[in-house]
Amino acid sequence: MDFGRSPDEAAFADEVRAFLRAQPPDTFPSDGTDAGYGSGAHSRAFTRALGERGWLSLTWPRAHGGWERPMGFLLVLLEELAASGAPFGPLSGCLQVSESIIRHGSVTLQREILPQVARGEATFWQGYSEPGAGSDLLALQTRARLDGDHWVLDGRKIWSSHAGIATYGTVLARTDPASTRNRGLSMLMVDNRLPGMDVRPIRSLTGQVYHYEIFMDGVRVPREYIMGQPGEGFSQLLRGLDTDRFWGRFYKAPFLRRILGLLVEHVRAERPGDSVARHRLAQAAAEIAALRALFHRAAWLIARGEVATGPVSAAKVMADELGQRVLSLGMELLGPYAALRAGSPEARLRGEIEHQYQTAWGHALAGGTSEIQRTTIAVRALGLPAEPRGR
Amino acid sequence: MDLAFSPAQTLLQQSARTFLLQRCPPERVQELALDPRGFATDLWKEIAALGWPGLLIAPEHGGSGASLADALALMEELGRACFPGPFVPSAVVAATALGLAGGRRAHGLLAGLATGSRICTLALLEGPGRLAPEAMTLPIAAPGRLTGRKLFVPDAHAATDLIVVGHASAGPAVLLLPMGRPGIIARPLDSMTGDKLFELSFADVEIGPDDLLAQPGRAWAVLGPALRAGALARCAEMAGAAQRVLELCVEHARVRVQGGRPIGSHQAIQHACADLYRDVESARWLTWEAEWALASGRPDADATVAAAKAHGAEAALRVARRGHQIMGAIGYSEEHPLHLLHKRILAASQDMGDAALHLETLARAIGL
Repeated sequence: MDFGRSPDEAAFADEVRAFLRAQPPDTFPSDGTDAGYGSGAHSRAFTRALGERGWLSLTWPRAHGGWERPMGFLLVLLEELAASGAPFGPLSGCLQVSESIIRHGSVTLQREILPQVARGEATFWQGYSEPGAGSDLLALQTRARLDGDHWVLDGRKIWSSHAGIATYGTVLARTDPASTRNRGLSMLMVDNRLPGMDVRPIRSLTGQVYHYEIFMDGVRVPREYIMGQPGEGFSQLLRGLDTDRFWGRFYKAPFLRRILGLLVEHVRAERPGDSVARHRLAQAAAEIAALRALFHRAAWLIARGEVATGPVSAAKVMADELGQRVLSLGMELLGPYAALRAGSPEARLRGEIEHQYQTAWGHALAGGTSEIQRTTIAVRALGLPAEPRGR
Repeated sequence: MDLAFSPAQTLLQQSARTFLLQRCPPERVQELALDPRGFATDLWKEIAALGWPGLLIAPEHGGSGASLADALALMEELGRACFPGPFVPSAVVAATALGLAGGRRAHGLLAGLATGSRICTLALLEGPGRLAPEAMTLPIAAPGRLTGRKLFVPDAHAATDLIVVGHASAGPAVLLLPMGRPGIIARPLDSMTGDKLFELSFADVEIGPDDLLAQPGRAWAVLGPALRAGALARCAEMAGAAQRVLELCVEHARVRVQGGRPIGSHQAIQHACADLYRDVESARWLTWEAEWALASGRPDADATVAAAKAHGAEAALRVARRGHQIMGAIGYSEEHPLHLLHKRILAASQDMGDAALHLETLARAIGL
């Protein structure tokens, strides 16, 4: 077995590190909050800088202007960026949407959107959840009807990350009014600038804005701005579910390793000889190593085109719950300093721990709750019988 | 990145599973566990004929010169079957140490280990029960006389040879002794895991200069890699046993009907099974990553092995413990294999360094 990077991947890692040294992440202005997943803040400038290097289209086919690099290059890029604390917040959304456009998108979508993604000019929000459709996504109410050359979109989406500062949303809507549940749904690509779009911020418990609520009132979306054929929305969603969950969490292990490094630094400076802290940090290090191994197992299956549902969902559960434990440990180790925000007098570790601690409570809800992941593992990976559905 | 087993490893696992299902079923494991002097001479001969004790022994000494990865592939199956006996001490740790030590006596013993005619056990732990150089203080002088005791020595009743770790004036020292050397007295301990453990007393045992396995100053160069190999073997054994617990639980949850539906259709059971799955997978793949780190000489190899053993022990024990809750009352009975798997995991979690010892290694590696 080989868990290592190929010579090409190692050379690419050097290239990424050289870029991060030449243009340190904290020199880029951020324009959106760091949601704590490990991808840092939202920074248009940093996203454009990635685009300038061709790193937003690393794995795309050449026909779409990509570099046709193997998936291992993306793993390297994300690990190196996360280890440095770079602000690459929108990147995983760009990866997911561009993969989807390449697979399902019309020629118009491919021609009009992909070049913007490659340059770092287009970022995306996901329009899935609604006020009455969370874990039960199929209860969604948003509708789109065809009117001439346009889809007319009406509905309301919520908990969409960075929607107010992104360019487009991928909105799951019912396009066949006669359909129920998983049939008759379609994925539309919706430009934020269209008339009828109303994107309102939701201030989160951190005091910052990460999520938005989106009101869509008669929004006219060009007919070709649909992914695939009408009615394919849910099967596209399911098909991309494992990879979306994977790319949304893969960088959590290097991120937690970075946080662990900060806590080690703190304990060395302020609590030398604290054997309990020593023991618990070592325990966290072991679990982070295990998380990384699990993500690499999932990555290997995905790269080979094999079913990765079990390892991906297990890695997501583990990433989110381990993150909560590591940040909780951080709050404990920092004691009364833990709650001091960045910029406060006497704040420790640049105030990063309190912020990441607060964000951690959203992670086990977003992208499918830990309960949904566990049910997925049980039913789809282990073959246990599905729970009878309540009506 | 390539996380595939080699064709030879897959073949080894398949043939081992078939053999162990026939020759080492849970009833046999249970029978050996209940027998205070239980040792399966017949099984040991058969696995020797299959070449298992010689996997890590070089071809010139009668082994097959396989890699540690091959041995770990086998260990997953041995763990799954709760294979009893001194495979890890003799075929992994002693074989690795003897191969590194070299010399006429070591080579002679390796040939015997490969054919199965000899078995080498390990006298490591003392009163504190810790596998750390400073906790292994039996005074060694060669030439000289050996007096003192060792604890938790596995399968001393079946072993022909013995590796003893202690302290000489120059630092850690390692002896290789025949079990029959006058003055070595074995007293059995009685363990709930079914492992046959002994207290070994050394009463004025005569030690010659040839009895040193490694020259002064070289003891840890021989022992360190052998103990790391042993730790990974225990990790793979735990992962194999934990995987079997998961399978038993899932099978039970699928077929056990209460209140008109399988208990596995309840979220309470589904989510418990999902946690078992997460623990099995993470423990298993961290073990394989540590094997890779060791084999490819990565600078963080020691830390990765330590992480694998510390996490593997906690994760596999969680699997066994939660498994009892999923399995219900039948898992509490002696005839059900769950307790054998639990006890196998428990023994493996403590052998070759417990979590505390490995976390100490890891603490140093992260800068504490």
